[in-house]
Amino acid sequence: MKKTVFLSFFLFLFLSLSSWTKELHSDRESKYILKETRKAISATFPFETFSLEQKEQKLNTSTFLEAHSFFNIISEDALKGYAIIATAPSKTDSFEYLLLFDLNLKIKKVKVLIYRENYGGEISSKRWLSQFIESPEDDSFVYGDNISAISGATISVKSITESINEVMVSLKRLESEKQI
Amino acid sequence: MRKAKLSLIIIFSSFVLSGQNKQSYDSLQISSNQRILNNLAGLPQGITLGGYGEVLYNKPENLNAEIDIQRLVLLFGYKFDERVQFVTEIEFEHVKEVYVEQAFVNYNLTQGLNIRAGLMLVPMGIINEFHEPTIFNGVERPSLDKYIIPTTWREIGIGLSGRLNRISARYQAYLFNGFLSHNGETGLLKGSNGLRSGRQKGAESTMNHVNFAGKFDFYGIRGLRLGVSGYHGKTQAVDGQNQIPGSEIGVSMLGIDGRYTYKKFSARGQYALASLIDTDLYNELTGRDLGSKLMGYYLEAAYNVLPFKNRQRLEGFVRYENFNTHHEVGNIVLKNKAFHRKEWTFGFSYHIAPGAVYKMDYQTKSTAISNSTKGQFNMGVGIWF
Repeated sequence: MKKTVFLSFFLFLFLSLSSWTKELHSDRESKYILKETRKAISATFPFETFSLEQKEQKLNTSTFLEAHSFFNIISEDALKGYAIIATAPSKTDSFEYLLLFDLNLKIKKVKVLIYRENYGGEISSKRWLSQFIESPEDDSFVYGDNISAISGATISVKSITESINEVMVSLKRLESEKQI
Repeated sequence: MRKAKLSLIIIFSSFVLSGQNKQSYDSLQISSNQRILNNLAGLPQGITLGGYGEVLYNKPENLNAEIDIQRLVLLFGYKFDERVQFVTEIEFEHVKEVYVEQAFVNYNLTQGLNIRAGLMLVPMGIINEFHEPTIFNGVERPSLDKYIIPTTWREIGIGLSGRLNRISARYQAYLFNGFLSHNGETGLLKGSNGLRSGRQKGAESTMNHVNFAGKFDFYGIRGLRLGVSGYHGKTQAVDGQNQIPGSEIGVSMLGIDGRYTYKKFSARGQYALASLIDTDLYNELTGRDLGSKLMGYYLEAAYNVLPFKNRQRLEGFVRYENFNTHHEVGNIVLKNKAFHRKEWTFGFSYHIAPGAVYKMDYQTKSTAISNSTKGQFNMGVGIWF
């Protein structure tokens, strides 16, 4: 009798917990992404209060830019920069990363927000990502040349490098069309 | 009967409750977070396909050449939700042997921390984890990764894999099933290839001792990646046999590896040491010649002669290997000089597209016995997608 009750109790606990965690995953991820984005903006730009405003303009989607969210960073009623949350592929999954730009479209910050797969997570290294900030802005990023390789993470290194190149191409197109 | 009724009621109520949970959640679904982000809605779910393979030609001096589809591996992945993914690799070796190389569930617990369970690769050295033909030089994998580290070394286990982004490091810690040293009829481990024949590969494997495997990788200096791996535990012997002294031996292994890339230059090196305990008892029981210490290292340098902007790469390389499966022997076995091997490999890898490579090299293989040098010419094609 006791056994049955115990078993049923655990089954109950398991079912309710599993449904709870499952339903909350995407919401939790969204919250986490936005929290990390805000943290990164605060750390990168000199102002303390700001708001994010979703832009209507879209970047081109491609193999390396599966999805994206594009925001104006507004502080004291003035446009201060842009934030792009992009989704790119890893070997068998996808990951989200953040790009912050100033008004001259110079990259101020690159950060990997969510990396799900085990393989290739090395690209989250802060030190490695800082290369995208140091490189000259008119040059595209070339894996192995101005972007150093990470042994054992080749697929994801190439993916984020190409992904950022494609964001830059789209941004320059929007700029030339005077949309930003 | 009453018991059954009660448990039915409880199970039913748990369904109802979890259902309610879902309902109340649905009304929360349209939160500001959901609306503002376009990323997660488009997340790829479902099946991933991939694979790698090698078709090789080996021509040892004075012998016939062997032409072989050495391995063809098909990767299937299935993503259940944002956090849970199943990955498996089905391997065909020499066309006719089928193995499962990996089959595990990866549960992405929090940022940078995964729980993995199933049939997994033991993190030891470079090649055991990273063995796709387009990411190592040479037609054949380094021999050290065959004789000292028994690549492809995989067992069933569970463990953690995590990253520390601030210090650019990765750690892995697993509990695995160990090698089979005695199958009830004969001892499987021997002097010529050490632990290699004891791999159970997750096929009806027997287990009475848990083994630990871990690796720490540091990649905080640009272009450089350093790894330290450790393995500790005991081999397994089948029921009935495991009571007999000498059927099981202790295994400890240390691996140190480094990979460096700067522009078109790249280099890598690896050191591996395996210490085995109770080999005298084992050799006495089985009549085998297993060494008590296995040791080896290799160094490799490569240079890409084509410009960066090219889609193709042509890498010339040279590798030196020195390894000994009889580095130390116990008291009852004599050191076999033929097990101390030295190999030079010269050649090139022509990457005709990212993921497809032509390889060609020449090897000289010698042992500690004088005048034992033999040459071998190799060619191969490799793919990874």
